Amino acid sequence: MGKETSTAPKLTVNIMTRLKENIPVVVVSIFSIILFILIGIKGGAPQLLNVVVTGGMWALLATGLALVFGVMNIPHFAHGESFMIGAYVAFFVFSPLNKIFLATGSKFLIYLGPFIAIIAAGLAGSVLGVIIEKFVFAPLRHRTKDGWVMNAFLLTVGLSFILTNGTTLALGPNFRGISRYFDVPSVEIWGAFIAVDRIVAAAIALITIGILWFFLRQTKTGRAIRAVSQDEIGAQLVGINLDFIQTLTFALATAMAAISGASLLFMFQAYPTVGLTPLYFSWYVVMLVGLGNIAGAIVGGFLVALLQSGTQLFIGLSWQSVVPTVVMILVLIMAPSGIFGSEVKGVQEQ
Amino acid sequence: MLKLKNLDSGYDFLQVLWDVSITVEEGEFIALIGSNGAGKSTTLRTIAGLIKPTGGDILFNGKSIANKRPHIISRMGISYVSEALNLFTDMSVQENLLLGAYAVKERETQLETLEFIFGLFPRLEERKDQLAGTMSGGERKMLAIARGMMSNPKLMLVDEPSLGLQPNLTYQVFKALLKLRKQGVTILLVEQNVNATLDITDRAYILEQGKIVMSGASQEMKANEHVRNAYLGI
Repeated sequence: MGKETSTAPKLTVNIMTRLKENIPVVVVSIFSIILFILIGIKGGAPQLLNVVVTGGMWALLATGLALVFGVMNIPHFAHGESFMIGAYVAFFVFSPLNKIFLATGSKFLIYLGPFIAIIAAGLAGSVLGVIIEKFVFAPLRHRTKDGWVMNAFLLTVGLSFILTNGTTLALGPNFRGISRYFDVPSVEIWGAFIAVDRIVAAAIALITIGILWFFLRQTKTGRAIRAVSQDEIGAQLVGINLDFIQTLTFALATAMAAISGASLLFMFQAYPTVGLTPLYFSWYVVMLVGLGNIAGAIVGGFLVALLQSGTQLFIGLSWQSVVPTVVMILVLIMAPSGIFGSEVKGVQEQ
Repeated sequence: MLKLKNLDSGYDFLQVLWDVSITVEEGEFIALIGSNGAGKSTTLRTIAGLIKPTGGDILFNGKSIANKRPHIISRMGISYVSEALNLFTDMSVQENLLLGAYAVKERETQLETLEFIFGLFPRLEERKDQLAGTMSGGERKMLAIARGMMSNPKLMLVDEPSLGLQPNLTYQVFKALLKLRKQGVTILLVEQNVNATLDITDRAYILEQGKIVMSGASQEMKANEHVRNAYLGI
């Protein structure tokens, strides 16, 4: 008992000093809370949910980027193509499945369809991730580590071209999309009507992030992934198979991007260059919070969504991309390693 | 247990080790001594698999490990405590230790070893929730050695544990190594603190410009003219 009372004041002092050390974080948190409240007042529940939906998706995509950069030192510019593949897989799984399930008339099956499509997209994404890692990055890694970051960057840009143009070649430039996953009336929340699709997308984003977080923090393999991102040599010395962890990481990142592409199919549709916007925004998120910072990427995803929503509401829809970019430039000028100031260890080590 | 046979090794086009042969028997405490740049760390890095040898062979319990990858070598029972320590600085002491036992399948064995290590280094138990990167130099060395022990290795390669430590901490690190040795762990120690090292080890090899120039029982080495002149400053 005595021990507890003695640590209590110490703890507050501790928090105070930590706050002082992290002024950017404090400023950003206060700013985002104010923005959230303002958006809530002006836009109501639909806008707030919008923030959660887009924020969750940016967070999913950005976490993938952060993982790939942190663990493998790859500045991944083909991440949008994983999103695109996810959207296509979801479309091609969902459309025929939905017809079959509608014919049976079973409500359960009809509601199950979208989830099957999204899970299929996630699986396809992870398979694609394994293939890309094994056939593109692993051979390069085994050959030389010289100039790795630049080489890997160029490879991802090339991959992006191949995947986009390959898709155009195979499937044509047409938009393939659905108007909604769930053919049910909108749900009323706080006096506003919100499409079930959006609620499901938000839930999927949050659940996926939660599972990833648990995986990285609490499981042995997750711990090994973090170990590799902190010290590659140390990780090998304790018996971690670097190749396995890197392939796994890439597969995870690709799968997450595919899942977001699939669950946003009703918003984005599927077409060869659909990945561009998600790619830009997820890069914007990781640059804002600091490369390779996974926790930061999750927070940053929601932050960017807040900024987007705020701009839409208070300045105008056409400024939606301008304001976040200006903010990014300001952040890069004032805090070059991002708001959460994580050092980019990997690049300097290379 | 460990046998380096005419080992050549180096970085890219720079050959560092020339025809190095070292034998370590089970239960022995061996020192590898030499000045800066003699190739001591390169020897350990080559054994651990971080550098591929360009010639010769490395046998561990009769099996060649010369071209095996580092994680395989680690899982075979060789634990390398590097000079740079290579700790996971953003993780807690406990997480670092548990990762040390990454290759150990049974959770119970992991926890038993953890208990044992906390007994050996009570300081680490006090700080088990602290981030490894925020600890002092001496504590980090302790942690690196402790992490190396978590896999219950048969052979430990320890690289310059006294580097940058004040004398009483060096003494503690050496005491920890002696405790390890009592547990039956075979140790190959690289050190610049020659005097203290020769006091605690069984045998020593002397490496000069990438070649083994002398070897023998540590006590005899201490009396040797060349060693006294070059390394002990007497």
